[in-house]
Amino acid sequence: MAGLSGAIAGRRVLVCVGAGGVGKTSVAAALALSRALEGGKVLVCTIDPARRLATALGLGALGNVETRVPDEAFAAAGIEPRGQLFAMMLDVKRTWDDLVTRHAPTPERRDRILRNRLYQQMSAALAGSQEYMATEKLYELATDRDYDLIVLDTPPTANALDFLDAPDRILDFLGDDQAPLLFSPARGARLGFRLAQLGGSFLVKTLARFTGAEMLRDLGDFLASFQGMYDGFKARAAAVHELLARPTTGFVLVTSPGARAVAEARSLQARLVAEGMPVAGAVANRVTTSLWPAGRPHPTAPALAAALGEADAGLAPGLALSLEEHERMAAAEAAALAELLAATPGANAVVPRLEEDVHDLAGLAALAERLRG
Amino acid sequence: MSPIPHLDRRLVVVTGKGGTGKSTVAAALAVMAARRGKRVLVAEVNATERVAPLLGAPPAGPVVREARPGIFTVDVTPPAALREYGLQVVRFQAIYDAVFENRLVRHFLRVVPGLGELVMLGKILHEARPAEGGRPRWDQVIVDAPATGHAVQLLRVPGALLGMVPAGPLRSDAQWMHDWLVDPARTATVLVTLPEEMPVTEAIELDRLLRERVGMEPTAVLVNAMPAARFTAEQVARLAPLAEAAGPVGPAARAARLQAVRSGLARRELARLRVALPLPTACLPLLATTGWGSREVERIADALAGGPGGSPWLD
Repeated sequence: MAGLSGAIAGRRVLVCVGAGGVGKTSVAAALALSRALEGGKVLVCTIDPARRLATALGLGALGNVETRVPDEAFAAAGIEPRGQLFAMMLDVKRTWDDLVTRHAPTPERRDRILRNRLYQQMSAALAGSQEYMATEKLYELATDRDYDLIVLDTPPTANALDFLDAPDRILDFLGDDQAPLLFSPARGARLGFRLAQLGGSFLVKTLARFTGAEMLRDLGDFLASFQGMYDGFKARAAAVHELLARPTTGFVLVTSPGARAVAEARSLQARLVAEGMPVAGAVANRVTTSLWPAGRPHPTAPALAAALGEADAGLAPGLALSLEEHERMAAAEAAALAELLAATPGANAVVPRLEEDVHDLAGLAALAERLRG
Repeated sequence: MSPIPHLDRRLVVVTGKGGTGKSTVAAALAVMAARRGKRVLVAEVNATERVAPLLGAPPAGPVVREARPGIFTVDVTPPAALREYGLQVVRFQAIYDAVFENRLVRHFLRVVPGLGELVMLGKILHEARPAEGGRPRWDQVIVDAPATGHAVQLLRVPGALLGMVPAGPLRSDAQWMHDWLVDPARTATVLVTLPEEMPVTEAIELDRLLRERVGMEPTAVLVNAMPAARFTAEQVARLAPLAEAAGPVGPAARAARLQAVRSGLARRELARLRVALPLPTACLPLLATTGWGSREVERIADALAGGPGGSPWLD
């Protein structure tokens, strides 16, 4: 086990990916802390709606702004970083608003979009919206700020790579190659207008049965208000994709030793490689490490009782059972992890299950130590 | 009387943090219901299917399939659900194809925010509610819902649409769906968590989000992977020096100490959970395995039903 220090040195962006519940947020925060300890100006950005990073970093409430982890918090944990650590939580709605503001051709158009009821719902409730805005924000932070390293925690999606697909999916419906057809240069080139032209046709009547006629008008207005902005969005998404593919970016596969999480990490890895995305390494988190030499039979309760002596003999059955269970878990986990670790030679870290959950800076520092290797 | 009276509802929504074992719990609840002779559907929501494999069956895909006698599974996806919903609205395949397969309309439907969630929920709730004038299709529909944030996003869609869509068919659908979800007589909501710091914090947060953003009252908490309380406090104190011992005692005591520490932390987190969430709470045992299949699901179902170990429900 080489640790990740070589694999992540010199990277400007790290993206932690993996199944839900494997400790991505803790790993992201620890990777950020690790660099900040060495002297960099580092930001960790989490998208997790459950706001776990805030708890782990001792910050009451993270917002869409970058917040510096205060010196007192480090001092209280007995840590003296040479650099600075910033943390933030993605505010999906705000990021959408910023994106619209940036691309709107006029203030009137911007206001028309921001006021639109459908837009307000879309920015919060749309599937993939979170993932899209995460990469959007990452790009903004990576280009407009002077961080030495930005670590992105990714949302707990069912499919952990949704954030690669989300921008395209969303752009697709804001206006793909069908957009010219929808927003034809005809007079009043608005979908609402075009639908009105079709009005009375059975198509619109049927659709109206489905959505209600007013909904159709709202939607037409919504789509029309995005007219002309599509190219800007598209160019931006391409730039975001380019940033993710840079060699100074690194994806860190995070997994727990469970068979399911490891399988997901393996398929993530395959997908990233296929997309030309740089995989920096893998972290196996919360692993049960073996305490007993391989191949030697486990001690029986009577054998342990004899070794313990009369005073402690009562502990023997519990000890035998605990060792037996522990070793069974260790063997099963090692088997589950073998392929993943072999596929990331010299760039992986195995983090033993710690006695305490990581939930404070001291815990993050200990985790950072383990990750460096 | 059902061993878990709180969960005996037509619809059971299982949610919680990622990695806490939602699918295992959903599968175990289905096994319990099937053991009582019920006909159950377990619905996953646009997911990598886990429930059918956990029951020893191949994945069902977007079409309902029987995984084992009495238990059916389905993976509800937006395209399949939209098609079903659309057909229900227009009734005729030819009209559906002409309208919904129209390029312009397909584009248009993708823009409706929350429509994917709405039709998926619609499909699930449609399965749960009785057919017009008829018997319910299922005795119970169990939803293996997404993790915290995405579950709230899914479940709040009908309520959110009520605030956004003018009167019309879409609104009335959103209305009956919302009514179902927030009715504790028809819908039970189970929060699955682990007895660890972050999962407990997230379960507390999820409870709040469900109440505030969706209007759902969680019914019960299931604490998964609870380590056994194997040693007394005096014994735990003895483990530290024994862990340094030579021979077989050292490693065995270290393993025992890790177990004891984990068990102690788990009980501390359980206590914190119970103070924050005064809901019926049951603990499920930690199984020493990484691979999950039907045998493990049966064991969890046994534990939930209250086997020789007694009722899993805490006072």
